[in-house]
Amino acid sequence: MREEAHRFGRGSHLVGVAGVPAGARGETGVIVLNAGLVHRIGPFRLHVELTRQLNEAGYPTLRFDLSTLGDSAATGGGMTRTQQVCADVDDAMKLLKERAGCERFVLVGLCSGAQNAHIVAATDPRVSGAVFLDGYAYRTLGYKLRHYLPRIIDPGRWARLLRRGAGAGNGEAKAAPEPVFAVAPAPREEVISDFTGMVSRGMKLYLVYTGGISTHFNHARQFRECFGKVMSHPSVTTRYVGETDHTYILTGDRARLLDGIGGWLTRNFPLATAGRHA
Amino acid sequence: MRSDSEMPFFFGANGGVFGMYHAPALPARRAVLMCPPLGQDLIRCHRLYRQMAQALCAQGLAVLRFDYHGTGDSAGASADVDWVRCVEDAVLAATELRERAGVERVVAFGARLGGSIALAAAGRARFSEVIAWDPVLDGADYVDALDAMQAALREDAERFNSPRTHADVAEQWLGFDIGEGLRRQLASLMVSGIDVPTLVLDSTSAAPGAQWERIVSARGRVASISPPTPWNDLRRLEAAILSQPLIQSVTGRLKETA
Repeated sequence: MREEAHRFGRGSHLVGVAGVPAGARGETGVIVLNAGLVHRIGPFRLHVELTRQLNEAGYPTLRFDLSTLGDSAATGGGMTRTQQVCADVDDAMKLLKERAGCERFVLVGLCSGAQNAHIVAATDPRVSGAVFLDGYAYRTLGYKLRHYLPRIIDPGRWARLLRRGAGAGNGEAKAAPEPVFAVAPAPREEVISDFTGMVSRGMKLYLVYTGGISTHFNHARQFRECFGKVMSHPSVTTRYVGETDHTYILTGDRARLLDGIGGWLTRNFPLATAGRHA
Repeated sequence: MRSDSEMPFFFGANGGVFGMYHAPALPARRAVLMCPPLGQDLIRCHRLYRQMAQALCAQGLAVLRFDYHGTGDSAGASADVDWVRCVEDAVLAATELRERAGVERVVAFGARLGGSIALAAAGRARFSEVIAWDPVLDGADYVDALDAMQAALREDAERFNSPRTHADVAEQWLGFDIGEGLRRQLASLMVSGIDVPTLVLDSTSAAPGAQWERIVSARGRVASISPPTPWNDLRRLEAAILSQPLIQSVTGRLKETA
């Protein structure tokens, strides 16, 4: 199978790489959105590895750059960022429909990519599934207890704090780390309402959150704490991998993520042409 | 900038090499091949390469950006990256660029290992000049630096909640599988001077040091770029590298030699 490079979209402003397995006409198409500002290959080439693995399994894919990211240009036209994301993903779905006959789609996004996938998934009926990697998260009471309680009852920590207090002003200020987790928050009730709407529409959701967002999320139970009973719906699968970082820098962590997404896709969107792509 | 003047495509015998061709508005008389670095440097430099390509294209030069086998959008897994294949891909890309642009004179630009690859490919690719930004000249030092960063990554508290095992981080450099072959090739890499005009742009130190002498002594020169580029800072591993002074230096150099 060869990949195809495309310049596409309403203003011919988008750039992407489509993978279309032989005989995959009409299967569910998988569209992978930018993670932060990284171009379409994804952090450490995550999106290349993911799309190729899914192509091997028989799914058509498209990894592409949204307007102004990677190799894609701006369209102008005075749209809001949300309108632009919806229009860009609409262009992407049209391309994958043209190339592989796809009528329904699964969106995959990490961090801001999850946020963008959420925006489109909440409103576009062609989206049948979504994979949200380190998407929306809120510090719940459970989060705070799990985060602060061990620190409060740790005598060693108090001793270190007191020593630091006594020596204040002598040491160098600790440089702030580069920000990694940067999903702008949306109102929690709105996000819950979106998830509920997606599930009632028949969408399948896969949420995978990592230890890389421990400033906001720190336990598998927090899916339910954040989003309520919709997380227990049979159409929703959640996974928390506390040992993994936000961008899957280790190849073993990446391989496990890819296997997880592949398995979830196969269970929820079985190939109409199953057997051809063994 | 017309978006349709930047065309993505695959080329090469098996159509596995990804390229992005920047076509100038008028027929070009010269072209620039942009050889990317490897590993995380490639991702960090992507936007800078695009900005530079657009600036050069606006000056009337045809430009080709591309990815080596096993990198970026090109075919192959990260573990398949091979030094010899990278050099061959650069030669192949130079041929592709000449055909697309209809020019004979091709200047190569490369950052870090991309500069080293451009220097290694210069003879076979018939580059008229090589502009190398902080090229890696001593592969053994480079391998040591990456090994040290990978070891530090294992227990990076900014990234992981608890240190990972040695097995978790083995046979990788900063996010990418590394084959034993590439490690050996880079460990023995010693880039030497070439019989092609060479400009080294140095942002590794405040003042150009003696380390560049062996590649610029014959037909080249060194210029400083500031501020220093944080190539090996683990805390900035996922931050894009942008440098307007670099773009000005390269576009200025190509105006000088037009």
